[in-house]
Amino acid sequence: MNDPRTPIPASGIAQIGVSVPNVSVRGPEVPRTIEALDPVFTVSGLSVFYGDYEAVRGVDMTIGNREITAMIGPSGCGKSTVLRCFNRMNDLIPGARAAGKILYHNEDLYGDHVDPIEVRRRIGMVFQKPNPFPKSIYDNIAYGPRVNGVKGKMDDIVEEALTKAALWDEVKDKIKQNALSLSGGQQQRLCIARAIAVKPDVILMDEPCSALDPIATTKIEDLMQELSRDYTIVIVTHNMQQAARVSDRTAFFTAEVDAEGVRHGRLVEFDETSRIFTNPSDKRTEDYITGRFG
Amino acid sequence: MSAQHLKTASGASRSLARSRPRYGEVLVKAVLMLAALVSVATTVGIVFALLEPTIEFFGEVSLGEFFGSTTWGPLFNPPAFGVWPIIVATLEITLIAIVVAVPLGLAAAIYLSEYATPRVRKIFKPVLEVLAGVPTVVFGFFALTFVTPLLRDVFPFLELEAKNGLGAGLLVGVMIIPIVASLSEDSMAAVPNGLREGSYALGASKMLTSVRVVVPAAFSGIVAAIILAISRAAGETMIVAIAGGFKSVFTLYPGDEMSTMAAFIAQAGSGDASVGSIAYKTIFAVGSLLFIMTFAMNYVSARMVQKYREVYD
Repeated sequence: MNDPRTPIPASGIAQIGVSVPNVSVRGPEVPRTIEALDPVFTVSGLSVFYGDYEAVRGVDMTIGNREITAMIGPSGCGKSTVLRCFNRMNDLIPGARAAGKILYHNEDLYGDHVDPIEVRRRIGMVFQKPNPFPKSIYDNIAYGPRVNGVKGKMDDIVEEALTKAALWDEVKDKIKQNALSLSGGQQQRLCIARAIAVKPDVILMDEPCSALDPIATTKIEDLMQELSRDYTIVIVTHNMQQAARVSDRTAFFTAEVDAEGVRHGRLVEFDETSRIFTNPSDKRTEDYITGRFG
Repeated sequence: MSAQHLKTASGASRSLARSRPRYGEVLVKAVLMLAALVSVATTVGIVFALLEPTIEFFGEVSLGEFFGSTTWGPLFNPPAFGVWPIIVATLEITLIAIVVAVPLGLAAAIYLSEYATPRVRKIFKPVLEVLAGVPTVVFGFFALTFVTPLLRDVFPFLELEAKNGLGAGLLVGVMIIPIVASLSEDSMAAVPNGLREGSYALGASKMLTSVRVVVPAAFSGIVAAIILAISRAAGETMIVAIAGGFKSVFTLYPGDEMSTMAAFIAQAGSGDASVGSIAYKTIFAVGSLLFIMTFAMNYVSARMVQKYREVYD
């Protein structure tokens, strides 16, 4: 079996695209999922509601420690919704609620005693559109540590975070300049640095490269590889090649219409990335990655 | 495909030139421009109307006496033209009003924009704006017949006069709360949600997000709101005329009766100052000064907004 930490080279994908249609696999009723050995998150029976609408139904998966887990699938399949459960970002949407269970290091993330603010200090997030604050580069990085009451030399914290995000060399001479003067790719790396500065355990990334050009995307992908040594990363992406390049495990979601004609996001298959892209066990996964739909 | 073929296919050759004149467009543009010109023309008109009597005034009263003395009484005999008592009263009442309106207005704006549910906001904001529609004469009598007596009962050591700067200033403050709150809320609501999410995702509370991200990002709009409120407070006439009084003795104590510049204009204007008399010209001189003060404030604030603006898109 492949080492799950080894990303598939991009050239492998092209071959997969040719080989897969020949394989005839019938999808099982229950999604094939695998257990991460050292799970950070254990999701069981997760459903997410917006008001009465069940946007995502019955997700079971595990997120392995210091792994990169990718969530892929067509628009509206609920992958971002699931991602935003991991740091309870959905709490901010009026009417949104989660049913089922998410264990974070064996602690119920939605338990009554859990403070969402404390959750978000441990589980950082990077968004689709770079969203630096309209402040200086320095203040952007220092914001998280400051609001969390971190003591210590702020200059060092800022430098360390920017270095880890591979941005320090580019900005060290203009650290007091407005963050919005940076390019889109730099802004996104700044947002990653900002998330790192609070020393999180997990970094969630919601389509972090969808607003970036290919060169900036490559830089972010390299950075993710680098960061996965120290952090657990969960990334939602529209880009299958990206999932194949960077992730250890991949979850494929799709939207399905139930008996009453209502669309729900469902997890179809969750497996090692190499297996999802070479030998998926579900026909729908196969159709999606070979470009037949989505 | 040949040009010939194209012609027959479309039936006839059609020119790209305008098929019929569009007079409506010209008319609409003219009407819109006229509407824009009205406010500009009014401002210019006010400046010219103020200018001539003001120049005549300074022909009779020296700038030295106007700005060099603290005795004001153009309607007395002998008249005195030291303008400082009414400038100071205007500034005092404006200051009291701002001290009341900025914290309350900003707090209301933060509540409405960041904390209130959409339903609460939908009810609250119009109610708040109704406050802006209350005639100022109502505020004036409220200050005179309710607030000042209450203050005198509760804080007798303040030794408030029946008409005083404090009561008037407080109600001017209440009057401008909706301006501060409503305009600030507008600019906070315009802050992209991505910035709030970025802050929450770093473990910031709602309060920290509001104060450290949303308010700074909305800063230029908030400053503009406050400046507009200051201008309104400085020029407010009815409340100060009713509750502040007309006594124009130089005083720094807000518990004293005091006349502001606007109150003086109202008093002198409603009296029997004959056209061309010195009292009549004084009205224009004070009006010019008030106009210049407000204009300067607007100018400075516009520059400030430019400088401190946090552009987020």
